[in-house]
Amino acid sequence: MDRSSHLSVILDLCPTQWLLSAQPSNPHPLSFDTFLSHLLVFLNSHIAYKHENSLAIFGALPGKSLLFYSSEEAGDPSTAEVVQPDPNSYRFFKTVDQSLVRRISREFDILGQPDTEEPCALVGALTKAICYINRLLHPAQSLSSPEDSANLPDPRILILSVSPDASNSYIPIMNSIFSAQKLKITIDVCKTFGPDSVFLQQAAYLTGGSYIYLEHREALLQYLVMSFLPTPSIRKIITVPTEDKTDFRAACFCHKHVVDVGYVCSVCLSIFCQPVPVCSTCRTKFPMKTLQRLNMTRASSLTGTGASQPSASRPTNGTPAKQVYTGLAANLR
Amino acid sequence: MPPRRQDDIMDVDSDESDASLDYDEPRRKGKGKAPKKKDKRKSKVTEVPYAWEASYVRSWDTVQEDESGSLQTAVDDLIARGRRKRLFAPSKAIRRTIIRHLIIILDLSNSMMDRDMRPTRFDLSLEYTREFVNEWFDQNPLGQIGIVGMRAGVGERVGEMSGNPPDVLRAISERHKLEPTGDPSLQNAIEMAKSTMSHLPTHSSREILIIFGSLTTCDPGNIHETLESCIRDKIRISVVALAAEMKICRELCDKTGGQFGVAMNEGHFKDLLFELIPPPAQHSTSALTSRLASGAPANAPGSAGGDLMLMGFPTRLPDTSPPSLCVCHSEMRSQGFLCPRCSAKVCDIPTDCDVCGLMIVSSPHLARSYHHLFPVKAYRPVMTMEETANSSPTCHACAAMDTGADGISPLGRYRCTDCSNDFCTECDVFVHDVLHCCPGCER
Ligand SMILES: [Zn+2]
Ligand SMILES: [Zn+2]
Ligand SMILES: [Zn+2]
Ligand SMILES: [Zn+2]
Ligand SMILES: [Zn+2]
Ligand SMILES: [Zn+2]
Repeated sequence: MDRSSHLSVILDLCPTQWLLSAQPSNPHPLSFDTFLSHLLVFLNSHIAYKHENSLAIFGALPGKSLLFYSSEEAGDPSTAEVVQPDPNSYRFFKTVDQSLVRRISREFDILGQPDTEEPCALVGALTKAICYINRLLHPAQSLSSPEDSANLPDPRILILSVSPDASNSYIPIMNSIFSAQKLKITIDVCKTFGPDSVFLQQAAYLTGGSYIYLEHREALLQYLVMSFLPTPSIRKIITVPTEDKTDFRAACFCHKHVVDVGYVCSVCLSIFCQPVPVCSTCRTKFPMKTLQRLNMTRASSLTGTGASQPSASRPTNGTPAKQVYTGLAANLR
Repeated sequence: MPPRRQDDIMDVDSDESDASLDYDEPRRKGKGKAPKKKDKRKSKVTEVPYAWEASYVRSWDTVQEDESGSLQTAVDDLIARGRRKRLFAPSKAIRRTIIRHLIIILDLSNSMMDRDMRPTRFDLSLEYTREFVNEWFDQNPLGQIGIVGMRAGVGERVGEMSGNPPDVLRAISERHKLEPTGDPSLQNAIEMAKSTMSHLPTHSSREILIIFGSLTTCDPGNIHETLESCIRDKIRISVVALAAEMKICRELCDKTGGQFGVAMNEGHFKDLLFELIPPPAQHSTSALTSRLASGAPANAPGSAGGDLMLMGFPTRLPDTSPPSLCVCHSEMRSQGFLCPRCSAKVCDIPTDCDVCGLMIVSSPHLARSYHHLFPVKAYRPVMTMEETANSSPTCHACAAMDTGADGISPLGRYRCTDCSNDFCTECDVFVHDVLHCCPGCER
């Protein structure tokens, strides 16, 4: 119960999405500066919560991902950022705040032209966060002793996402989810801007974390503190808002469409959005009979009802966040 | 009276090391040691009247201490060996039969009460079978397992073919219903397993796993005829023997493309079982059949196997949603899954939708097997300092500083051939064994 906890935060720093998010025409505009100030308060509360708590911050930038800050790096004078001491602030808070802000602005300065922007490297950041936790959980043999194993931190990852799903990341994200399950890592997702993310919903559901769609975005700090500050062991006792629905849609292997009905190869389980004569993954040839039957049912369903067309435009957002908000309010009382 | 097991051990040893010549020093050392340990244990059993006291010694058999009394070198060896295996394995994705159907045939004859494995062969087999079933379903999400027992000269159906792990586990949970007695009959049990799988569609694999503790079988007819029919039906038979090698068992496996092994001790028994969990590569059977038929090219098994199936990925409703009627039980429930085609609510997946007939599966279940399809290429060990001149000093994945030499790379660094990032020893193992996704390439 009273174990220390490790938190890895993954920041989605897609410049375009943040620009859109700050637009005053939004019902609840949220600029990156406001976001960062809320986030820093949250990070400081995590450090203040327990002395042994550790923290790592990863950034997903267009085309690359990197580690912005980690507690162990900050404790090592050879690698830590130089921070001017300030008699009016707690040293650890100051270190986190300064090194994070400095590194983010350094990365934003060297960003390329927005029109040639690559998708954000969320997978890179997520896999790095998992590898980092793996190292924490399996420290080098020379350092570990039997009594240490009881003090191993309770690990979790919080993803602050603003970008829509990149459908070509479906398989790596699923693989990351299964490794997180094996390491007993809880993945929490706070969707700060943009459409619901199907893959991150599944990540939170499969690892026992919460997926929260932020509707009233000026209340970011409240969401962060109420739902993501308690460690997974404490969440068993208090009620934190979890997600409403989980959408199990998957991405097809051929066009990377997100589909709810797919054609699956029986040999390798590859998913296709339309009947194909040969599996592109394992080269299995499918029987003509099956293809004809599938094409016929597909044609009739397309002309008949217009339903089951593979598309990502199903209304999914709105209601979940509202329910979460009422849940939060209930917690406040 | 069957010969004592200890007498066979040297035989078994030589047999086994033939099959695994690529293994290196430490393993052989371990093997050489096994018979000695056996003797020690035997004498211990006579000294110590309580069986459970003896059993505690055993779990350390496979790990040896080095001169300084540390286990580190032994652990390093294990890791290095796994990596070497990976370096030599082909990195190309191979076809695997993913929809698997397996019948486990448990020996429930008198010989299973032998105490040469702790607590008894029977109890140990049940325990390992349970672990096997859990792990098997984890890696073969759409597979099905049935259980058949060999007892008193007949085969008896212990558990029906099922894709639901709790159902399978329930079948072998009640020990008193499985109490061993009489002689086993391989032929009867295999015939029963074969009939259970006769209706299966062509795109699925059919496998039989026999856990065999006896040295005899009492069959009503000619077992070679049964073997012939298994080859015809493309049933793959694997045997894990607990006593010693029997010619017919070896033949069953060799001719059907299965694996045969004799367990030397408890740990080895478990290893043999768990080796059968990853989906078998399909080319092994196709190569075999083509060798038997001698003519057809080995790489054209496609016409025989695959099929395209229509599947739906549902939306899960949590238990806080307003209750509504489900179509499977007609009961008011909150929790459930919505069919993506007709929006009917079903209670459990995988299933066929009761309204529109669509097969509803959970897509994470399918995704669990994708790492077999797209394995991460083996990283290349970095051997010299020159190679590290213009790369980051820390591990690209976990940001650890240099970890120092290990079994393969003197720098403890491994480089991805695609993204040219360097990784530490720990991450190299983790990425290939667990994560299945290179943090540099992002796929
Ligand atoms: Zn497609
Ligand atoms: Zn395929
Ligand atoms: Zn029901
Ligand atoms: Zn339906
Ligand atoms: Zn590393
Ligand atoms: Zn790579």
